[in-house]
Amino acid sequence: MLSRLFSDQPNRRYIMYGGKGGLGKTTFSAATAYYLAKTGRKVLVFSVDPQASLSDIFKQDIFGKGAVEIMPNLYAQEIDADHRIREYQQEIRKKILDMYQLESVPEEIENYIQAAAAEPAMEESAIFDEVVDIVVGGEYDYYIYDMVPLGHALYYLSMASVYDEWISKITKLREEMAEYDQVAAVMRRDKESQEDQILQELQYIKQRINASSSILTDKEKTAFFFVVVPEEMIIFDTQRAAKLFAKFNVPLSGYIVNRVIPEELGGQHIPDYLRNRLEMQKGYLKKIDTVFGKEVLARVPEFERDITGLPMIEKMAHTMFGDF
Amino acid sequence: MADEKKGSKLRGWTDSAKKMLYGMAGHDMARYALKTRGSMEHLFILITMGDLLGVPILPPYYSLRLLPYVVPQISTWKRRMLRERDLTDALA
Repeated sequence: MLSRLFSDQPNRRYIMYGGKGGLGKTTFSAATAYYLAKTGRKVLVFSVDPQASLSDIFKQDIFGKGAVEIMPNLYAQEIDADHRIREYQQEIRKKILDMYQLESVPEEIENYIQAAAAEPAMEESAIFDEVVDIVVGGEYDYYIYDMVPLGHALYYLSMASVYDEWISKITKLREEMAEYDQVAAVMRRDKESQEDQILQELQYIKQRINASSSILTDKEKTAFFFVVVPEEMIIFDTQRAAKLFAKFNVPLSGYIVNRVIPEELGGQHIPDYLRNRLEMQKGYLKKIDTVFGKEVLARVPEFERDITGLPMIEKMAHTMFGDF
Repeated sequence: MADEKKGSKLRGWTDSAKKMLYGMAGHDMARYALKTRGSMEHLFILITMGDLLGVPILPPYYSLRLLPYVVPQISTWKRRMLRERDLTDALA
């Protein structure tokens, strides 16, 4: 039963489910959150997907409303990137006006602020930044990331290392500049050269990125699970993705097989169509076991209906974690 | 009283001597250091705010964070970027 994933690892705080779109990441995230909340832990499940589905599964509109309490101990949050970007632009404008005591932002600068917000990378970066805010807040016992589909998740993970490298380089440039400042100040017998605010900003950014990537790669605190279903294409894709994730040092904790058609159906009088599907599934389940071996943690059956709303989430949580 | 006068005179002398020495040796070095720093400042803005010239170099989220600090330099930087030429311009 999956409950030992938490009882064996008391330091675990960050849970992530990854996998292709539509395999059940959000369902597992919600069910895990439900289980943890019911067993007395304060949990936040949040989505970094611009097309998030937490609102759908909890049957409650939570988009862009911050952390919303779904039931005691269970909070859910969907990040509204657009809103975040608009707020952020406003912060920058205000800073410029305050710093230079201006009435309005110079046209050229305003154009830049607007153009920057329209860049495609802006949304991801804004989400990334908000996630840092959420996880460094430390208000919850557990954080569950409802991840975006695979390709996107990889992009998100790689962003941390790319940003980190970039910031390190320009921080170095900035430090060299400070050295020249120092030289000129000494020559001219000026008092201390001015402290470089940009350097301070860069160090702040670096520290935030490090906080985020250290969480993603912390083997003790973080668990990353892959969701697979018994289908050929999905098995191949997951294998490839697992290799890529390993490259970014993401601690892979195992695979959970979803949508398994119950085998006992085979004993009943069922149409050939379903019997064929069952046969096929048997082959793929075997394949999953050979490919992923001991890392396969559980098989979760296909339910008779969609999993939305708390009663169905509860049912799923009991299937995954047993009695609690 | 006389000592004090003597002292201030001496200070005046040493100050002038220091200034002269600075003018002879230090000034150029300081100017060079500041010039180099100026170039680096422009390089820095190019890296962080490149999209102002249509050269997107990095994710814009964090470059916006730095924008307020470089507002005064933006116009001189743009002028410089557009003015600087390299060898291929001469060949053309």
